[in-house]
Amino acid sequence: MHTEASVDSAQPLPGDFAIWIFIFAELVVFGVLFGAYAFARSTHVELFNASQLTLNRAYGFANTLILVTSSYFVARATQSIKAGRGTACGNWLAAALGLGGMFLVLKLVEFHQDFAQGISLSTNLFYMFYLALTFFHFMHVVMGMAILAVVTYKAYAGRYSAANHTGVETGGSYWHMVDLVWIILFALVYVIH
Amino acid sequence: MKLLQTIPLRPCTASWLVLLGLTTITFELGSNAPSQVLMAAVLALTLVKGQLVVSYFMGLRRVRPVWRLVMAAYLAAVGGLIAIAYLTA
Repeated sequence: MHTEASVDSAQPLPGDFAIWIFIFAELVVFGVLFGAYAFARSTHVELFNASQLTLNRAYGFANTLILVTSSYFVARATQSIKAGRGTACGNWLAAALGLGGMFLVLKLVEFHQDFAQGISLSTNLFYMFYLALTFFHFMHVVMGMAILAVVTYKAYAGRYSAANHTGVETGGSYWHMVDLVWIILFALVYVIH
Repeated sequence: MKLLQTIPLRPCTASWLVLLGLTTITFELGSNAPSQVLMAAVLALTLVKGQLVVSYFMGLRRVRPVWRLVMAAYLAAVGGLIAIAYLTA
């Protein structure tokens, strides 16, 4: 006889399995880039520490709070649709999208300030990693928002239900991956020195 | 992580509040002078935050153990790689 816990722990990954192949591939790529940053720093410690001090950590902090909250909203959207509340699901997703937009605006302001200071990919090794990593992640936020926008539209259109919510879980899983990667990126690039 | 299930909030809401708190602590720790203790503390907080996202936002606490193991191994590998690089600098 199965207990509730044992039935729960036997569930497959949420959403379409294909998105998980994509998510694992993305995580490996980001993992390699994080390792490359850390080992590049190990031979240029003074340069990395001095350059890191020029970053405005408040932007990274605010964007972490924004992305974590957006990810939470998506988790609530998934719970809503599992309870059969399509409009509530759409509302949570729309709020998550709004925060995703805030993340992009704040990051663009930060990029603008960086470029105004003359910082570019060729300034030094730290800035090369900082700009490449954050821009690569920025593009993932854009892609995640495009996916969430489609899921939000379909949620409002009544295309999901308690019995059919794979699309919400699929889009949500990708968005959580984008959040997870930023959490590591924030600590690595903005904080640890 | 079991503690979160005893708090009278949805586990994902409790996780979100903990994530906001840990992010604030991480940000404040960044004001300190460079040290291996600082690096270890921030890295440990980051891995806890990552595991919270995986378990309570992605919902992997309910999936087959092999997938939870894969994600935990990923976080441990990335954290370990970063720690080795910083300790050997």
